[in-house]
Amino acid sequence: MSAKWYLGTGAQNDVVISTSIHIARNITQFPFPATLSLQDKLKVNAIVKDAASSVTDYRFNYYEMKMLSQSEVVSLAERHLVSPEFASSRDGRALLLTEDEAVSIMLNEEDHIRLQVMYAGFALDEAYRTADRIDTSLNTKLDFAFDDKLGFLSQDPASLGTGMKASVVLHLPGLVTTSQITRLITTVSKLGLSLRGSYGEGAAAKGDLFRLSNTITLGISEKAAIENLKSIALQIAAQERVAREEIFKAPVTEDRIYRAYGVLKYARLIDTAEFMELISLVRLGAVKGIINMECSEIEAMMIQMQPATISLSVDRPLDRIERDKLRAQLVRHNLK
Amino acid sequence: MLCQNCNKNEANMHMKRIINGRAAEVHLCSDCARSLGYGEAFSGMGFSFADFFGDFLLKNESLASSVRCGFCGKTFEEIATDGKMGCAECYNSFYEKLLPSLTRVHGKTAHIGKRPINAGGGDALNIEELKTRLEKAVLNQDFETAAKLRDEIKALLSKGGEA
Repeated sequence: MSAKWYLGTGAQNDVVISTSIHIARNITQFPFPATLSLQDKLKVNAIVKDAASSVTDYRFNYYEMKMLSQSEVVSLAERHLVSPEFASSRDGRALLLTEDEAVSIMLNEEDHIRLQVMYAGFALDEAYRTADRIDTSLNTKLDFAFDDKLGFLSQDPASLGTGMKASVVLHLPGLVTTSQITRLITTVSKLGLSLRGSYGEGAAAKGDLFRLSNTITLGISEKAAIENLKSIALQIAAQERVAREEIFKAPVTEDRIYRAYGVLKYARLIDTAEFMELISLVRLGAVKGIINMECSEIEAMMIQMQPATISLSVDRPLDRIERDKLRAQLVRHNLK
Repeated sequence: MLCQNCNKNEANMHMKRIINGRAAEVHLCSDCARSLGYGEAFSGMGFSFADFFGDFLLKNESLASSVRCGFCGKTFEEIATDGKMGCAECYNSFYEKLLPSLTRVHGKTAHIGKRPINAGGGDALNIEELKTRLEKAVLNQDFETAAKLRDEIKALLSKGGEA
């Protein structure tokens, strides 16, 4: 099995964890998924699967959602390969996924095609270039619903136009600790962007992970939307660095980091919420150079320790306690 | 208080929203709140259409239900309720009614950016890139890749030319 995308290290890695590009497309001759019959959904799956097989350089594995177990599907959502909405109803839905999990195509979610490209670190241009190429390549086999005025037509009018949503996942412990997040969320919403918890909403965002995305897709080109997102992300990253310097002035920050590391290293039971809170501190310490760990190892852990993904590492269903025990064991092993 | 969306269940989610510069309260039952995209556990992958149809819900407009989309048969009332367009043709059928909301959500109503090949958007850069890679593949005697690239270029050229 090839290395997953999240094992790589990227630019701006002290703050920016990952970059993704989503592109929504629909095939002209079919109604949108919500009005599409099961039989036609299966047709759409087959047509797109066939088109994807002719994309050069990318080999997709094909999964019918119905054939996967509940844990497998939820784990896909935890790894951000499919949306939680996609995982909630499996009939007529399918997924095309590359071995490194960097490119995924959800079939019959809100649109016939939801293409996603994920890169480690800050890589908006590279991710868009890849997404654009795959999109064009699919388009050589499939006609996409398009209107001169409204752009690419989507089941959801909020994604008309380019149908493209770019996002970066940011680690913002400094801005959370200094209580600046709420203000920031309000500010970016006025700029046509949204900032939301990557796992969990608002101030309750687990692991201090936030996703910054563009919300406007009509009347703005892909390039302009990406440039806009890029500049705001860099400003937030700069503010985060200032906030980190500020909190490191208080000795309690270093103490909290070492305590977090200690608990992770010796605990026998850890639930997801506690794990995310502690690993966020450890990541902060790793970036600062006081904890000897690579950020990429930490990011991989953040994904692997999610509940359904943990359950997949053993062959039987786990209850809560068993899962927390296994998580603690895996974490100890990772911290050596 | 009853849910403002379905008018059936008791509203148990109460939210303040700013709509067109005015503060307004929204009262929904949990089913409608979920189907309208409020309070989802994860975020970032979907687009929230609650923002889009907030106006309709709040004003409680009586929407004409007589007109149906000629292709999929969906009415505008149904679209306003679940936030989902039925098919590409719906945009033609209900264009005028959608326009005010589009302006509110996106600020603009005219597309700028990429066009699909089937609408004359054959991407010149892409073809050049593919040609370079084709030459490379031939040099490396990777004929499987070369054949794929050749087909891709051919398809791009012919589709772009049709439109």
